Amino acid sequence: MTPNLKVSIAGVEFATPIMTASGCCGYGEELAAIFPMSKLGALVTKSVTLNPREGHPPPRTAETASGMLNAIGLANVGVDRFITEKIPFLEKQKTKVIVNVAGSKLEEYVEVCSRLNDIERVDMIELNISCPNVNEGGMEFGSDPAMTEKSVAAVKKVFSRPLIAKLSPNVTSITTIAQAAQQGGADAFSVINSLVGTSIDTDTWRPRLTNNKGGLTGPAIKPVALAMVNAVYEKCSLPIIGIGGIATAEDVVEFMLCGATAVQVGTSLFVRPDAPVIIADGLKEYLRKKKLSSACELIGKVRKY
Amino acid sequence: MIKPTCEDTFLIKKRDLKNNYFSMVFKTYSRVDQCQPGHFVHVHIPSTDIFFRRAMSVAGVLVESGEIEVIFKVVGRGTRLLSMLHPGDRVNFLGPLGVSFKLPKKSEKAIMVAGGVGFPPLFYMATEMVRRGYDPKNIEFFYGGRSVSDILERTRIKKLGVTFHPVTEDGSYGEKGLVTGPVERYIKSGDKAKMRLYGCGPDGMLRAVNELGLRLGVPGQLSLEAPMPCGVGICLGCVVPLVKGGYARVCQDGPVFEIGEVAL
Ligand SMILES: Cc1cc2nc3c(=O)[nH]c(=O)nc-3n(C[C@H](O)[C@H](O)[C@H](O)COP(=O)(O)OP(=O)(O)OC[C@H]3O[C@@H](n4cnc5c(N)ncnc54)[C@H](O)[C@@H]3O)c2cc1C
Ligand SMILES: Cc1cc2nc3c(=O)[nH]c(=O)nc-3n(C[C@H](O)[C@H](O)[C@H](O)COP(=O)(O)O)c2cc1C
Ligand code: FES
Repeated sequence: MTPNLKVSIAGVEFATPIMTASGCCGYGEELAAIFPMSKLGALVTKSVTLNPREGHPPPRTAETASGMLNAIGLANVGVDRFITEKIPFLEKQKTKVIVNVAGSKLEEYVEVCSRLNDIERVDMIELNISCPNVNEGGMEFGSDPAMTEKSVAAVKKVFSRPLIAKLSPNVTSITTIAQAAQQGGADAFSVINSLVGTSIDTDTWRPRLTNNKGGLTGPAIKPVALAMVNAVYEKCSLPIIGIGGIATAEDVVEFMLCGATAVQVGTSLFVRPDAPVIIADGLKEYLRKKKLSSACELIGKVRKY
Repeated sequence: MIKPTCEDTFLIKKRDLKNNYFSMVFKTYSRVDQCQPGHFVHVHIPSTDIFFRRAMSVAGVLVESGEIEVIFKVVGRGTRLLSMLHPGDRVNFLGPLGVSFKLPKKSEKAIMVAGGVGFPPLFYMATEMVRRGYDPKNIEFFYGGRSVSDILERTRIKKLGVTFHPVTEDGSYGEKGLVTGPVERYIKSGDKAKMRLYGCGPDGMLRAVNELGLRLGVPGQLSLEAPMPCGVGICLGCVVPLVKGGYARVCQDGPVFEIGEVAL
């Protein structure tokens, strides 16, 4: 029997638990040239903001041990062009579409989400209250429990489908923030966004990013992400989408055992753009070997000491 | 749009071109027939020392045998690892990627300006033009380096029958000085309306070629470099500022841009 990869979050069904992470797959066009989008559980778009953003001047990325640093600066086309230019392409793709939304003011989040509410193709919104690369909003929202609750609640009023809160690891207690998001009415969590980091060129003594610091991602952050997924799983009742350094089927298994219902693949897409396909095949193979009929049987089943 | 693939290939021929330059030929790459001059492949070298792929211009293809050549200089960890491969070793290719050069009309003069490791894509372009029946006499191949050891594959260039203009800063081979000097002289001496300028090389050289093209009114294209995490347009890490404002992705909107398009 072929193992079943289907999972569901807040009533939305996904063909596989493997999604692409925001900022690591554009709006899908480039990846669709490499593999059919139907192979994905969901495509999570680059953060969409109210107005278009150019992002930071280059260099915006730097290689690190087993990962990377980025300070792209939320470069995106803005919600209007997203709706007119990107939605028509997404309409044709046989996958779930999760739109990641960011902003620098609460009103901005609300405005973007209310416009997206009219677009049926948007299956869910992922609220980025955790970007380390913008000056206002972003992580500031997601590091204050009161602000987190308030922003989630405000967006819930204007968006009628499920809402995911994407949490920052750059906080004292991620579970406090998760509980605040749950209180505000979130339907699920994405755990985690990137960790703040930097890197210095020893020839020039200058940071390798024009923004001086950036977000650390890739396999280097996987252990941190796993611990945070598990902490949120134990303290909260909402489904979790695990993110952080996922590159193989075994990585997905680890995340699901720690409590994730689904996962997102980010930085690994830069090394293997077809990673989601390879990972989904590997996951099937793993379930077969373990004689499990469904990926869901893994969720939260870590056998702790 | 070309459809890139992610594929394992293996090294079949390796030549040490001295002075840290290498030529490598890889086999079984199914997309060689889609490669055009200016395209690049993103090479994954399995190792814990580096994380990203490394971009390499296509330096030539043999469609019938599925062979693809890259020529590179060792500048850091990635290129050092690449240079240590032996025939039979496997690497993963993602490609072909990027926008290719627009070939000139057959009646036009192609003025190619290569500097250092900017040589491979222009060498491929010259080879391809000759193969397609362009008159090699209409290809002016300017090639600049610091010294004679930076001027690669001299015999192969001459064999193409193109007009070869080597230029070295120390005068050890060809004309002495910077490559843009003789290029400017050449443009001024001919019919500018029938010329196309193509450049690939270090930043300073590209700026000078861009400036020449604009000042003398010769249209053309430049192939740029940028550190490239993904190579397929999804990370927005490789951007360059445009003259009209905003940024373009070198990997997907380039690496070939029109003269005057990028704020160099
Ligand atoms: C489209 C494209 C085509 C290219 N084609 C060729 C080619 O045909 N032959 C060739 O020899 N090289 C080519 N390059 C440059 C090559 O990709 C870099 O030299 C290589 O990535 C350096 O990797 P590394 O690990 O050896 O060096 P790193 O350790 O990454 O860096 C070593 C030094 O090289 C610099 N560097 C890193 N990446 C680049 C880059 N992309 N361009 C310029 N400098 C860089 C770094 O700033 C550093 O000073 C191309 C680059 C691009 C973007
Ligand atoms: C280049 C880059 C851009 C990113 N842009 C966004 C973004 O716009 N919005 C967001 O919520 N997360 C963004 N992220 C974070 C990822 O979605 C993900 O949370 C993080 O990279 C950790 O996963 P990974 O280790 O698999 O990459 C970005 C990450 C990278 C590497
Ligand atoms: S290298 Fe990722 S967008 Fe160009």
